[in-house]
Amino acid sequence: MTTLLEPTVGGKAPDAEPAGRAQKRKEMLVGYAFVAIPMAIFLAFFIFPMVYAVYISVFDWGVRGKIESVGLANYQELVRDELFWRAVRNTVVYALEVVALQTPLGLLLALIVNAGIRGRTFFRAAFYFPSLASSAAITAIFIFILNAGGLFNRILGFFGLPDDIAWFADDRFALHAIVGLNAWTTSGTIMLFYLAYLQSIPTDVYEAAAIDGTSRWRTFWKITMPLLKPGHFFVLTVSIIGALKVFDQAYIVSRGEGGPNYSTLTIVLQLYRSAINDLRFGYAAAMGVFLFVFLFTVTLVQKRLFGNTEAS
Amino acid sequence: MAVVTSSGEPRTPARAPTPTTPVRPRAQVIGRVVVYTLLTILALVFFVPFLWSVSTSLKTLPDANEFSLLPPNPTLAGYREALTTFDFAQYALNSAIVAAAVTACNVLLASLGGYAFARLRFPGRNFLFLLVLATLMIPDQLRLVPVYQMLTGLELINTRRGYVLIYLVQATSLFLMRQYFLSLPKDLEEAAKLDNAGYFKTFWKVMLPLAAPAVAGVAILAFQGAWNEFFWPLLIFQDRGLYTLPIGITQFVFTYQTNWPPLMAASVISILPIFLMFVFLQRYFVAGAAAAAVKG
Repeated sequence: MTTLLEPTVGGKAPDAEPAGRAQKRKEMLVGYAFVAIPMAIFLAFFIFPMVYAVYISVFDWGVRGKIESVGLANYQELVRDELFWRAVRNTVVYALEVVALQTPLGLLLALIVNAGIRGRTFFRAAFYFPSLASSAAITAIFIFILNAGGLFNRILGFFGLPDDIAWFADDRFALHAIVGLNAWTTSGTIMLFYLAYLQSIPTDVYEAAAIDGTSRWRTFWKITMPLLKPGHFFVLTVSIIGALKVFDQAYIVSRGEGGPNYSTLTIVLQLYRSAINDLRFGYAAAMGVFLFVFLFTVTLVQKRLFGNTEAS
Repeated sequence: MAVVTSSGEPRTPARAPTPTTPVRPRAQVIGRVVVYTLLTILALVFFVPFLWSVSTSLKTLPDANEFSLLPPNPTLAGYREALTTFDFAQYALNSAIVAAAVTACNVLLASLGGYAFARLRFPGRNFLFLLVLATLMIPDQLRLVPVYQMLTGLELINTRRGYVLIYLVQATSLFLMRQYFLSLPKDLEEAAKLDNAGYFKTFWKVMLPLAAPAVAGVAILAFQGAWNEFFWPLLIFQDRGLYTLPIGITQFVFTYQTNWPPLMAASVISILPIFLMFVFLQRYFVAGAAAAAVKG
């Protein structure tokens, strides 16, 4: 990590081995040449936009560029904007629900696949695949399955339950329907993460438990769960951050509007609407800065809560 | 983060050396039954949406909400309509073009860059690499407005070039290549150096062929990512003629919501290539999940 300042930089090394020095110089130039394009892309489209976003956020900025400097007015408006806070509330509710659903489900899948069943490779693949398929295609499939006359309602009807709910068109259910859809999609990824951590638990602790005649249930709660602590930290961090950025599904099921009745309006969807529909770029940039600070704070809080158990 | 081994044996809790308790076998049988029952239910939950969409894509519109998995009057009309009337042949081609371009650029630039970060010494190397990793922390949404402004300024909004430019090389690709090059032994490179081969030649003739598995992994992940990507294509591609499959599907949902058979056909068309890749190249995807762990 400390090769930052090689002695060659200043070229102060005495004339020992001029050939070696030429060689090092050449290596340096080749190194820069090989990383030049990637670094240009990262600087231009990642690092610079971060700064640029903050700059844009203190302007009234339209599609043709800046109109006038407004100081912190965009942020002040953000604080008072009820629709934005509706979006924040929806996003937080969504994130809490989806994490509460997909984390235990992912862990359950991992435990089952890890339990020495027949065809475990097959099941692992089957559970993971939804994570790899197009979010738009999967959302389309769920819009179909959850429509008023769709498969899901047929199944509910089969069990004698109410069977005429248009899940994405009813403001009581739309957000929760997105929770269900995304928990279904993501739990396979959670499973893979947990599998990796489960396989890193040494077998001798289980052997000891087995010799002591500890029941499986107890073994799970007293041994597996505590040893999975770094796994929990990793899974929760990744999935909470991911959930707070939810956009694709909310955009598609609500035709880009966050409806019905703003029940599926999320932070990113509102940011997108402010920029692309309302052409209020300064205001949208302020939302972006808010989101970044929010995500960063959440990560820090999680680090605090879970202490030094971070995975290698 | 450990990598999930694709072939590794399951690490089940080892049993006590001698089954002294007579209850044990029965408890085990019950355990098995519980596990397999759960597994069957879960597998159904995971399969049914896909099976249902394939089945519906082969149905007629009046049959679409029929409660039967096998289409009563099977037809390819849904696919014909999707591909011709609703332009999904064009969208699929667009997806393939941008995904192929992104894949080629990622493979080339990430392997050159990854090699340099792993093997060449130059001042500022570690700092630059930290910068690469730092970009993983920057949410796309913060970049939306500035990148949109920049692409507009460069007249690259609504062009494939604009989309490929922002995806030219991704931090995860670079990271994967660097890790792989770090794991290769140094002697071959040194032999090449003694032969007085230039840096590029050493990279191209010796190191890149050795890194073939990593190249394949990067290619597959870049392709899958670009094929499915929603956020940036939605922003950048405003002409119908440039829509990729996810954007085409979205517009279809907005316009013809309940024409289910062609919509399900379009979804199948969008999912099928990734499904086939997954079936034949599964281990690369699993390794990719482990790489995603880096993002944490």
